[in-house]
Amino acid sequence: MIDPLMIRPEIALADFLPIFISSALVLIFGGVYVGIYTAVKVKYLKPWAIIIAYGFWTLTAYCLYVMGSLMHVGDFTAKALVVAAIGLFLLPFAVYYMEDNVHKNNEHDTQGEEDGK
Amino acid sequence: MANNHLTSESKQLATWYLTFAAILFGAQLLFGLIAAIQYVMPGFLYGILDFSIARILHINALVVWMVFAMFGSVYWLLPDETGIETIGIKVGKLAYWVFVAAIVVVVLVFLLIQVGPASDTTIWFITEGREYIEAPRWADIGIVVVALTFVANLFLTGMKGKQTGIVTVLMADMIAFAGLYLAGMFFTDNISVDQYWWWWVIHLWVEATWEVFVGAIAAYGLITMIGAHRKVVEMWLWIEVAMLFGSGILGMGHHYFWIGTPEYWWEIGALFSALEPLPLVAMFVHVLYDWGKTQGAQNANGDETSVITNKPAFIWFVLNAFGNFLGAGVWGFFHTLPQINLYTHGTQFTSAHGHLAFFGAYATILVGMMYLAVQGKNGIKVMKNTKTSIWAVSMITGGVMGMTVALTIAGYVQVIVSRAQMGATWAAYFDGQSGVWFTQAMDWRLIMGVITFLGFLLLAKDLLTTGKNPVHER
Repeated sequence: MIDPLMIRPEIALADFLPIFISSALVLIFGGVYVGIYTAVKVKYLKPWAIIIAYGFWTLTAYCLYVMGSLMHVGDFTAKALVVAAIGLFLLPFAVYYMEDNVHKNNEHDTQGEEDGK
Repeated sequence: MANNHLTSESKQLATWYLTFAAILFGAQLLFGLIAAIQYVMPGFLYGILDFSIARILHINALVVWMVFAMFGSVYWLLPDETGIETIGIKVGKLAYWVFVAAIVVVVLVFLLIQVGPASDTTIWFITEGREYIEAPRWADIGIVVVALTFVANLFLTGMKGKQTGIVTVLMADMIAFAGLYLAGMFFTDNISVDQYWWWWVIHLWVEATWEVFVGAIAAYGLITMIGAHRKVVEMWLWIEVAMLFGSGILGMGHHYFWIGTPEYWWEIGALFSALEPLPLVAMFVHVLYDWGKTQGAQNANGDETSVITNKPAFIWFVLNAFGNFLGAGVWGFFHTLPQINLYTHGTQFTSAHGHLAFFGAYATILVGMMYLAVQGKNGIKVMKNTKTSIWAVSMITGGVMGMTVALTIAGYVQVIVSRAQMGATWAAYFDGQSGVWFTQAMDWRLIMGVITFLGFLLLAKDLLTTGKNPVHER
């Protein structure tokens, strides 16, 4: 069943600019969140800065909410946006976990080679 | 160039491909400038080189120079990755000349003949008329033959030599790249069905196979330029392939919103388009992460020198990570959901996204590969920036960003005036384009286009001369 609002969303004239700005900020804040998270993990920043990273993710989620509300997205798209927000939250955890493990394995491999093992 | 340090025929062929790519890059910018002037002065070259023809040449030169540079990049990295000379390289060289001849003839036909009668003759010998892939059918067939030769070179070499993760990904990616082109070579009577298949070439090339190609090239670049650990880089490459194909293939739904396809594409397009920026964010982090890790490991050993062995190329590679995120990510996400795309579709928003995404996601990394080829060809151990290389990258990047901002403003005016206020009527289209914001935005787009073109001239000068510059370590 197609949401009638999908057929004619009727976006208010004054809402276009907030929609474009909030959708741009979704990725900008999201990028800052991922960047700070990574910087903390590789020890470029102090551990407490992770709070700032989560703050930026909260802003990302809020911008997604604003964008979706002003666009009058249907139920399905709203769920898709929630999935995207959760995906963005989990992304640096997953990427860092994998990268770090591969790095550790390689450091062990190199040590093994040096030891003649 | 005098000092040719290349011992591999594959790398020599790569320099041919990359050189012709650079020439076509210049042609793309030149015809883009002409089209930009025609927005400001509609009478410019009217009847000689109309906007429709300048636009065809601008866009097709873009696609073709990138394909040339991609083929060149693969021929460049194959001997390094597989440890052997590319198999069938003589046929590869013959295919190169066939490709160049076909492109020259097609450009001359576009310039001198331009249009033909509404018959099969036009489709076969003048233009097929499909946006982005307007080459006539004889050239299409030639391109398929060349692409298959290239794929054969890659597969034969990949199967016989060392099978690294990068080569394996490229083998899978390039077979898809060549195969998808076939979807743009036949016609159906139904325009919706026709467009449905056409997007298989345009979207699935650009947002799936080209992005994966960029991932593979970035992996090669990180190993070559900063000595990143192959296992780490290749592990990341596989994740990236999964993410890009996972979101990019069905992300095609955002092109199926308004072409007469079933409504379920709105929901599929919305979901997967929302996910499409995720791998781009991750790609951006990955480049910085690997750079930081490699530099940190070297510093920990008491060596404070930079790990980067080719600074101009590395700048272009880092720009790729930023540009992909901004152009494909941010400017794409602006208008990817159907509710807002209803208003932005076909406005200058699309053009803004196209300019920054093609530049950020592809042009940057391919120019980086050109610098890697210059380094290899001239036997340079550590390649440094020159004033010209810095000016070139600054002017081109600044120019493209300026054009993108100008086109975004123009697009916003169209959304508000032509679509939201006036309901997308015929009159609305012209009203939207006659407003002061739109016309001034087009003036700024032209100015920024000139800056980009001047930057390109500096880039060409740098690529041609930097190899002999004594500033580099040999």
